[in-house]
Amino acid sequence: MCCWRLFDVMAHHPVSVFFYNDIFLSQVKIMTQTTSISMAEIYRFLAQSMRYPSPEWMQADYFSVLDTFLAELGWDAETQALGQSIFESDDWLEPLQVEHTRLFVNAIPTVIAPPYGSVYLSGDGMLYGPSAEKARAFYREQGFDLVGEADIPDHISFELEFLALLAEEGKSEEEERFLAQHFRPWFPKFQARILQEGRHPFYGVLVNLIDFFTREEM
Amino acid sequence: MALNLTRRKFLQTASLAAATAAMSGCFARQANASTPFVKKPFTAPGSFADTKTAVGGVCEMCFWRCQLVGKVRDGKLVKLEGNPKSIDNGASICARGNGGVKLLYDPDRLKFPMKNVGKRGAPQWKRITWDEALDECATKLKAVVDKHGPQGITIFPHGSSAKYPMTFFEDVVGTPNNSEASFFQCRGIRDMAYVATLDTAPDENVDMANAKVIFLLGGHFGENVHVSHVKRYLKGLENGAKLVVVDPRFSASAAKAHTWVRIKPGTDTAFLLAIMNHLVKTGKYNKAYVEANGEGFDKFSAGISHATLDWAAKICDIPAKQIKEVAEMLAANAPNVSIHPGRHVSWYGNDFQRERSLACLTGLLGAIGVKGGFVAGKGPKVGKAGWPKPMAEHAEEYALHKMAKKYQFSPPGTPTDMIREAAVSGKPYAIKGYVGWGQNPIQTIPGQDLTIKMLQQMDFVMVVDVMPTDITMYADILLPESSYLERYDQVKTGTQWDLSGKQEQYITARMPLVSPTAADHERKDSVWITNELAKRMGYGKHIPVQSEVEMTNKILAGANLSIEQLVKEDGIHVQPGADPYGKVLKVKFFSQEVADAGFPGVPTYVPVPEPPKGFARLVYGRAPVHTFNRSMNNVWLMNEMPENPVWLNDESAKKMGLKDGDRIELVNQDGVKSQTSSVVKVTPGIRKDTIYMAHGYGTKNPAMTVGVGKGIDDQSLITKLAVDPETGAHGMRNNFVKFVKNGKVLSIPA
Repeated sequence: MCCWRLFDVMAHHPVSVFFYNDIFLSQVKIMTQTTSISMAEIYRFLAQSMRYPSPEWMQADYFSVLDTFLAELGWDAETQALGQSIFESDDWLEPLQVEHTRLFVNAIPTVIAPPYGSVYLSGDGMLYGPSAEKARAFYREQGFDLVGEADIPDHISFELEFLALLAEEGKSEEEERFLAQHFRPWFPKFQARILQEGRHPFYGVLVNLIDFFTREEM
Repeated sequence: MALNLTRRKFLQTASLAAATAAMSGCFARQANASTPFVKKPFTAPGSFADTKTAVGGVCEMCFWRCQLVGKVRDGKLVKLEGNPKSIDNGASICARGNGGVKLLYDPDRLKFPMKNVGKRGAPQWKRITWDEALDECATKLKAVVDKHGPQGITIFPHGSSAKYPMTFFEDVVGTPNNSEASFFQCRGIRDMAYVATLDTAPDENVDMANAKVIFLLGGHFGENVHVSHVKRYLKGLENGAKLVVVDPRFSASAAKAHTWVRIKPGTDTAFLLAIMNHLVKTGKYNKAYVEANGEGFDKFSAGISHATLDWAAKICDIPAKQIKEVAEMLAANAPNVSIHPGRHVSWYGNDFQRERSLACLTGLLGAIGVKGGFVAGKGPKVGKAGWPKPMAEHAEEYALHKMAKKYQFSPPGTPTDMIREAAVSGKPYAIKGYVGWGQNPIQTIPGQDLTIKMLQQMDFVMVVDVMPTDITMYADILLPESSYLERYDQVKTGTQWDLSGKQEQYITARMPLVSPTAADHERKDSVWITNELAKRMGYGKHIPVQSEVEMTNKILAGANLSIEQLVKEDGIHVQPGADPYGKVLKVKFFSQEVADAGFPGVPTYVPVPEPPKGFARLVYGRAPVHTFNRSMNNVWLMNEMPENPVWLNDESAKKMGLKDGDRIELVNQDGVKSQTSSVVKVTPGIRKDTIYMAHGYGTKNPAMTVGVGKGIDDQSLITKLAVDPETGAHGMRNNFVKFVKNGKVLSIPA
């Protein structure tokens, strides 16, 4: 119970999330169940993270998950950078929105990293290249299709959502195949652009996190 | 924690359970958000089994509007083709038409409404919702109307989707300050001059397919491609028409010409007057037509009697013999001659008189309503769906040119320069709200500094576009419009391309070839955007149609058609047509109306400024793979022609030490240097006093990632403004340049 109260406090004062972190974790540990987090949930979390920053989903509980991940990974520098740019700022949302727009939507001098695979995989750098059609074929082979007929299949959030669906169905072999054939061929190029051109630490941390959860394991 | 922690180990970490609880919290709020996936049993597709043909496309890579079909595989547009049912362009489309696919999937396309949280000209974009964007646009525009009156708003529209918002701002809000690039920087002068002479706007209505002579003044078909237009031209040549091309440059048309008149730029009117004077003096004009239909012929013939062959030869720098040869050729083949009215005619600031001359020459030859002459196809009738006009009178009253009693022959709207000057000076009234819709005045209008000054003094700047063109950098709110491949907007009508063929009419409507909605963008059509704005500004009761679909159906209903019916008919309704020949037009050789307005009532040659020593005149034209901004960022088209070579006379080049392919920049008479570079094309096919390049290159907007900095932007070098006194439209060819190579300025020998 105390834990939920803490969330409420943080929801109204997102600035303080990270300072409450230690308390938060200790509180959580008290109520910890034996359930463990699933890969499907992580993919969904990552897919969500790439969507446009909005107070609707970017609240204390969102950041607490992110913080837990970073703490667990021991990414202290990243945690600190995020703390400075988000939690120690009264006006943290707009810079994040501006950065999202600049990186993924439209920008001067150029949209930095369109979040679509074929931009990186096809010679002309356009959306909906052949690799996007192949990703869609993969979705279909697994019994899924996109809701919108004009949805561009290889948007990063779609690919991550799809990975969540595969993980949920326990199709680990297919999950690995999708990562190897469709996701990893472009993701590092996308990641590199963000690491090089990003002006806000958030998306750099995020793509590194996506990288951690999608990279090939020996 | 260890650096080489693996994913699997991570998942086993006990403390992560905490995250599960929090995660369910953050997803709970998202529960209503739709998941992008649905379950669907897999069925193996055949290789092309899913490729469908979508009908009802109307191209807008240029304004000619060829009819298209789209090959759509799985919701993805893979190819555009001409609609085989078309009696206009037929199954053919041009390179630009083909390139439309790449516009659709350009990652730089505008996707969401955005607010500029940086500065005008140096924007920082923040994606916002439509509600936020529309509320802000409506509040700010309404504030301008309340404080400065409706005339405090100016609109810069372009393209068929801009018509609905344009008429809203003119007729419902009540501003006269509408600067349509298609009039003031293109064809307005032609239309007004022909109306003053033949009482009709000419479009490009010459029956070239059935002509014995085709006469082009600056027309460079082949480089300039509009499919059915080029079909008419080529059919004429195929049938043995003689071709006269008047151009300082050996254009693609000049290469096919029987007579290439290598005229000194700016002097065309002198050339036309000499032809007409020769025909009158020698009695070789069409006396029957002129007697029956001419008005003020005596004043006209007296007024041009000074224009001898030698007089013009000297002015135009061409042999007198050649002028006579052209005149005689036209007379010998009259009335079956196509005197082409041109399209982009805002050249030197003496253009109304030149266009009047072309119309008079057409009349003098009696080349009206006959095979090969000036003939308009008889198109079908359709219905209307527009705004009411509660404020049209107010707009009229505040029209700047009417207040100043200037530019009596202005095309509809207000001359661009008057809007810009009023905005910058605040006189006679303030102009504080800018609405841009599909037009990029940074590149279409000469005098970029003044345009930017105008924008900077605005209280509010809103821009609606498909691509991030130069003007979008100045927007406070930038709204993304669906492209011509994703919307309904225009009912297009016409006839079969060859006027002498089987008489048919067609009606088609622009219909989406692919769905306009997708999860990763929120583009909207102009009817929706305008209506939402109108509601929020308090003009909701005037809204004439609720949607683009209703608008299209309402117009089609006038011909007993509907979208549904058109789809059944493969996108184009074809019906029997009517014989277009035989229509007679009165010809005002001398115009009392023009004289009363204080201008020469007889077509008159007005000399234009000469190049200063060391400079040559900059002229520009079309490339077959480009149409301004719409194609500037297109990967396929840029690949075909990545820059615009600058044409330079070979003898001049030799003296200047320039070789074909040398990288150069240009500097103009005002010391303005091109911000980008291009290569020299060394050729005997251009006069020494003239430099030529294709228009539509060198965008400054880095958001156009393909086109930015490629080739030279001719508009940036057009700093000296010429204004046509009758119409107020711009003349753009009175600017002069020198070359710059490796930082060294090279004068051009005379």
